[in-house]
Amino acid sequence: MATVLIENLTKIYPPTITYPHRVQALGGVNMSVTGNVFVAVLGPSGSGKTTLLNIVAGVETPTSGSVRAVQDGVPAQVGYVFQEPRLLPWRTVLNNMLYVQDRKSDRSRREAEFYLTMVGLNEVAHLYPSQLSAGMQQRVGIARAFLVNPDILLMDEPFSHMDALTGRSLREYLQRVWLHTRKTALFVTHDVSEAVELADRIVMLRPGGVVFDDIPVNLPRPRHPDDPAVRAVEGEVLRRFDSMEAAVRFGAQAG
Amino acid sequence: MTDVAQRPPAAPGPNDPYGQVPRTAPAQPRPNDPTTFASGFQELPTLPVGDLRPARDAGYSAPRRALRRPWVVQLIAFLILLAVWQYLTVASDRVPSIDNILSFMWTEVTGGSHGGMLVGEFWGPLGLSLQRYAIGLAIGIPAGAVLGLALGTSSWVRGLLNDTTLVLLALPAVVWAFLASLWFGLTSTAPIVAVVLTAIPFVAINFSSGVRSIDPTLMEMSKAYQVSRRNQTVDLLLGGTLPNAFTGVRLAFTTGWNSLLIVEWFGATAGVGWRARFWYDALRYAGFVGWILLFVLLITLLDRLVLRRLERHAFQWNQKPTLSFAEDWGM
Amino acid sequence: MLTVPSVTPDAISELSAREMRRAVVRRWLFRFSVLIGWTAFIGVWYLFSRLVFNPQQLPEPHVVATESWTIITEQDVRTHMQASLLRVLAGFLLAAVVSCGLGWLIAYNAWWRTLLRTIVQFTVSTPIVALAILTLVVFGVSSLGPIITTAVVATPYIMMNVAQGLTGVDRRLIVMSESFGRTRSQIITGVLLPSSLISVLAGARLAFAVAWRMELLTEIFAASEGVGFQIRRSFESYDVRGMIAWTVLYIVVMLIFENLVFRQIERRLQGRTA
Repeated sequence: MATVLIENLTKIYPPTITYPHRVQALGGVNMSVTGNVFVAVLGPSGSGKTTLLNIVAGVETPTSGSVRAVQDGVPAQVGYVFQEPRLLPWRTVLNNMLYVQDRKSDRSRREAEFYLTMVGLNEVAHLYPSQLSAGMQQRVGIARAFLVNPDILLMDEPFSHMDALTGRSLREYLQRVWLHTRKTALFVTHDVSEAVELADRIVMLRPGGVVFDDIPVNLPRPRHPDDPAVRAVEGEVLRRFDSMEAAVRFGAQAG
Repeated sequence: MTDVAQRPPAAPGPNDPYGQVPRTAPAQPRPNDPTTFASGFQELPTLPVGDLRPARDAGYSAPRRALRRPWVVQLIAFLILLAVWQYLTVASDRVPSIDNILSFMWTEVTGGSHGGMLVGEFWGPLGLSLQRYAIGLAIGIPAGAVLGLALGTSSWVRGLLNDTTLVLLALPAVVWAFLASLWFGLTSTAPIVAVVLTAIPFVAINFSSGVRSIDPTLMEMSKAYQVSRRNQTVDLLLGGTLPNAFTGVRLAFTTGWNSLLIVEWFGATAGVGWRARFWYDALRYAGFVGWILLFVLLITLLDRLVLRRLERHAFQWNQKPTLSFAEDWGM
Repeated sequence: MLTVPSVTPDAISELSAREMRRAVVRRWLFRFSVLIGWTAFIGVWYLFSRLVFNPQQLPEPHVVATESWTIITEQDVRTHMQASLLRVLAGFLLAAVVSCGLGWLIAYNAWWRTLLRTIVQFTVSTPIVALAILTLVVFGVSSLGPIITTAVVATPYIMMNVAQGLTGVDRRLIVMSESFGRTRSQIITGVLLPSSLISVLAGARLAFAVAWRMELLTEIFAASEGVGFQIRRSFESYDVRGMIAWTVLYIVVMLIFENLVFRQIERRLQGRTA
């Protein structure tokens, strides 16, 4: 069983030439995720969501605190779907898939083709990323994340760079695929309805990277964004954000 | 000219300048009004390629249409160049005419005598020059590539050697050629060293900028997926450097050829440059110009037929909707 | 329910101070490596002139520096540098005038575009050494030869960028001007010229670099004064010291033009359009 244990995680960026102020991306985050759950990390921009995922993926190092991502006691393999597709522009779609695999054998090629078929792109496997639409590129990114057979699936606002209709159909799509595999998933977003539609649990961050709330979403799957029950949870989440803002403002006035 | 046809057609037609406005919509202002100044800009090339749009030919008479065929225009261009040369022949007594040059070079190939001088060394000088050139590039390009990859990947190396490389790049090829021939005298070493020294900074700077042009988020991605070292080197590093690397190699080929000629002209006892100088000193301008033109022809053919095609192939993934003039004209 | 952050503000400023210290250390390490790089460059130069060659073949850096200073302080530099600069500027201006017309032509006329494209593709891949030598044949040792050759080499670069600037003009601005009833000359001075200026300037900079390189080479083959002529004369009298010193001056002038003249104009223009 995969576990992500985040303890007292802090990340501070020093001032740079372009932005001469220090930035606190994460201010002491504690959370743990165990088992086959889909967790959404919800917060406005500047709340350190991407930094959190990058640290879990081992791309960035924390200023302090620790992250452990393990599967049965050994370091877990992560599959990461980024905000933008992040494909090698000079390699074809198929070779982009093979890039994340250690050995280029017939078997790995068949696996890559299988996952491309899964996202409906097996026919464009020989094309370069620049020849695909943004939505198709992001689907390649999703297929790549599943290809490495991840223990933990990390997703960083994967639908934020495309139009609402494409994002909506891809969301449905992701939900189906996830129901099929039920990987431990950490999904970062600023979109409340997206979080409620996809997640079993919503962790809410406020600017400065501080967890202020954590609620479960016990709704049957597959969910539909227009379902009244989904709408109700959305309302609840928004209310909690409002009260957080009020509390912060009130605290500031009192202090 | 063949590649023009393969490019995507320029989308907005003359009657639909924005490509989206329905034709029935009353456009305000009307860009098609032939009385306005803006109408002159309808045909602004969205693709500034050298094609002559067939659609525009419709209104022309048959002979004028023929004049607008690309190959006819290219032919005219070459005729203009020839005419300029012919004018120079008439205007200056030092400039040999084309047929003089050709007949002299033919004697040079077949052997014989020309105006009392024994002529007939062609393959010797040519082969020797090509040999020196090949050896020089075989040393210079890999050395430059290694230096460039080190410059691109390690900030420590960049701090150490970047300025030095830029200084070497700023030195004109002719200075390298002079230094090499002063250091190594009338040997084959001098031209080889000159080729190596001119090639290295060009290759290094382009490899380095190629590595640095790789999107850092792709490195993050590779780290997150724990991509193997081999894949990272081959697919990410080399794959991303390849287009710039080709540019560097192409420049090394052309500048190396330049400095080879200079060394051979000023300090060598064999080779293309030496042969040209030989005929220059003997006041046989046909032979002299013939060798120089041969020199030009070789590098032009290599550049146009091999190097630029390879470069374009390396850039194949980068499908831009429009080309700038410089890209299209190969500058 | 609000959860209290488990890191106190004090701890956060302590942590951020640590990150900042790291960044400063990294920056200084880089500067240090640049310093070492220059030291090594000078050191290797000394090593080569003492051990590999002799000071006759490769004079030490300080000898070259004093020689450059001597050239600057003596009359030499004025006559030769002036000759080179005047010729390159003459060639450059000639190229600029010709290529404004040609640039306009290739921007709006497909026939001329194809014609000039063929010619340019042919001349651009001609090695500049060959051009320099052919200058010697056609014009002999004269001032006219280098000027013409420099102009021929510089023209394609300016021409191309004039055309690029003209075609890069936002058509909608022209249509907009039309709709407000502006006249043809108002559009040319108000829209076309300003918006193509930056591209033209970029072309001019590139063309100047090429012209300066071409000038040196033609002077080496076909001139009786100028920097290139001095480099050649030093070479023929085995005066490596003078050769390197003149080269250094040549590069310095190039850098002055590149960084002080063109960069400054460009910055001023960009500041206005941005």
